[in-house]
Amino acid sequence: MSYVLCPEIPEPGFSFENCKRNALLESKGFTTPKAIKTGTTIVGIVYKDGVILGADTRATEDTTVADKNCEKIHFLAPNMYCCGAGTAADTEMTTQMVAAQLELHKLYTNREARVATANQLLKQYLFSYQGYIGAALILGGVDIEGPHLHMIYPHGSSVDLPYATMGSGSLAAISVFELGWKPEMGEEEGIQLVRNAIAAGIFNDLGSGSNVDVCIIRKGVVDYRRTYDEANKKGVRQGSYKFPRGATAVLSTKVVDVEEVSVTPVEAERMDVAAF
Amino acid sequence: MSILAYNGGAMVAMKGENCVAIAADRRFGIQAQTVATNFEKVFEMGPHLFVGLPGLATDTQTVMEKLRFRKNLYELKENRRISPKVFAAMISNMLYEKRFGPFFVEPVVAGLAPDTFEPYICNMDLIGCLNEPSDFVVGGTASAQLYGMCESLWEPNLAPDDLFETISQALINAFDRDAISGWGATVYIVEKDKVTIRNLKTRMD
Amino acid sequence: MPPVNTDFMPQDGSNDWRDAAHSTGTSIMASEFDGGVVIGADSRTTTGAYIANRVSDKLTRVTDHIYCCRSGSAADTEAIADIVGYHLNFHGMELGEEPSVEVGAAIFKELCYNYRDSLMAGILVAGWDKKKGGQIYSIPIGGMCVRQEVSIGGSGSSYVYGYMDANYKPKMSKEDCVKFVTNTLALAMSRDGSSGGVIRLGIITEEGIERRVVLGNELPKFYEG
Repeated sequence: MSYVLCPEIPEPGFSFENCKRNALLESKGFTTPKAIKTGTTIVGIVYKDGVILGADTRATEDTTVADKNCEKIHFLAPNMYCCGAGTAADTEMTTQMVAAQLELHKLYTNREARVATANQLLKQYLFSYQGYIGAALILGGVDIEGPHLHMIYPHGSSVDLPYATMGSGSLAAISVFELGWKPEMGEEEGIQLVRNAIAAGIFNDLGSGSNVDVCIIRKGVVDYRRTYDEANKKGVRQGSYKFPRGATAVLSTKVVDVEEVSVTPVEAERMDVAAF
Repeated sequence: MSILAYNGGAMVAMKGENCVAIAADRRFGIQAQTVATNFEKVFEMGPHLFVGLPGLATDTQTVMEKLRFRKNLYELKENRRISPKVFAAMISNMLYEKRFGPFFVEPVVAGLAPDTFEPYICNMDLIGCLNEPSDFVVGGTASAQLYGMCESLWEPNLAPDDLFETISQALINAFDRDAISGWGATVYIVEKDKVTIRNLKTRMD
Repeated sequence: MPPVNTDFMPQDGSNDWRDAAHSTGTSIMASEFDGGVVIGADSRTTTGAYIANRVSDKLTRVTDHIYCCRSGSAADTEAIADIVGYHLNFHGMELGEEPSVEVGAAIFKELCYNYRDSLMAGILVAGWDKKKGGQIYSIPIGGMCVRQEVSIGGSGSSYVYGYMDANYKPKMSKEDCVKFVTNTLALAMSRDGSSGGVIRLGIITEEGIERRVVLGNELPKFYEG
């Protein structure tokens, strides 16, 4: 047991200290709340000069839209990005952790990390948690061996494909790819195909919605187009529903003045080197 | 019944012009039974930084204490104020550590950045998935109602006084449609030079 | 049944096809011939009723002369193949020569047996080494390991045991063996719903592997009346 006044340095990794309590609560009939899911459409294709990733921007908590414009294309390395579907926190944290590992790997080896390395890190991590970390990923990037696209499942299996879709909107999106994908596509043509696949998800899958994000990865250049297309424009509000000042009944008011913290910059003193 | 709805509570935070607001109800109940009407769910974590922890009341307090400890340690080590963004990341990582046995809170953070006084708001789910929108965030048992209220009442660039009316009306009218939150409300308006804390007169049923 | 199904996203992660374990409901096969082995597999990967991948490659390299045909959970078999690949690579360096197929199969067996309660993997290990030539080892679920001249696996295999037994001949020529494997797999794929797509083949001899593909429109139709 840890000392009351001075907590021990916590163990790294997941903590299971609440599990027993939570299981007890559940046994008493209190259902465990569900985490935010990205009921999602995410896609990726290989084209002539690299890969293009695409994603919608809706996050859902059960049937409520929890975030209308969330970012599902995560940074992994300067030459690699990763779309995430499934439990939002899992995709975010898993990609962040692997991004850190890849940066360290780059510093150790003095080489740009390969997509295969990222794929292996992700699948081994997910496999070790046997599917309990609910992250379904589409990993895309360009390295020394050219463009690569991998699809990684929560249980830790992966495949590399020339085009891939995942998430609840994957059926709508794959139909667009099966119809329109060709080898050696041009960039504009490729972006349009990715947009259409995401749009198919946005309009036909209830778990997907809002905007289209696109990320184009070429050798040495990344073009991340956040909100590439606003598939659903919100109507302009006609009137203002603003309440007049004083409309709310106030019982008591307390004003706390925040003194501005004054900062006096201190010039760095020159080191006395005369003695040496 | 969801464990998040055991004690009840509603929470909302909004961005305004050079200011942010965070508001919460004051009820503490055990399911349908109201136990207290002076329960604070919003905590001061710095002169310009507030965190709201709606959810299971025991975890509200436990998580608040853990956060305060970690924030103090950070500020002692770094010898500077924590920024809202960093604080949010700190909460997110702390909650995700308990991914497989979570605390039942859905935190809401509101504040101004220490150096630029840039408004910042965010919320997250119980395992720390960050959501940083440009308008407003909600939490607690009346979140569905709050989403509706905020979507229609909020507009960009609200001055502090207008922001107060907007957030107050959004909260009051939302929790009037929720049986297990209400019974008074506290609203914090955070500006560069002052923080205004108001207790609202609401229905007590 | 209500007209709108609001339960559109099962959140419990249990029996939904999107969350279901990604598995290779499969037809796989390996057969010895004079000079090596022929391995073959269909190319369908399913999650529930959805075909997650119609062009998968279930013939996975372990070393240049040892391959495995994977059936069962994709995640489990990929992880096993990766680990065995690592061990054999290391073993090959220590040995200073190519590891034998027998050793490869033994490592597969060791993993499949020790973790038999948490794995779902039915693997055929096939390859060529200079000691015993072409060999096939079958490692079904549970972690048994047995050498066979010809072997089939996966959900599609139950339909074609009879065909395999009736048509296998020892010391076939390479092309006869390829034909035999192709025909057997085509029959399995036609009857098994979770097998399909193309037939992927590998011919492992002293020279290494030769890969072939029989496309969906080129599958043999000899059994059609």
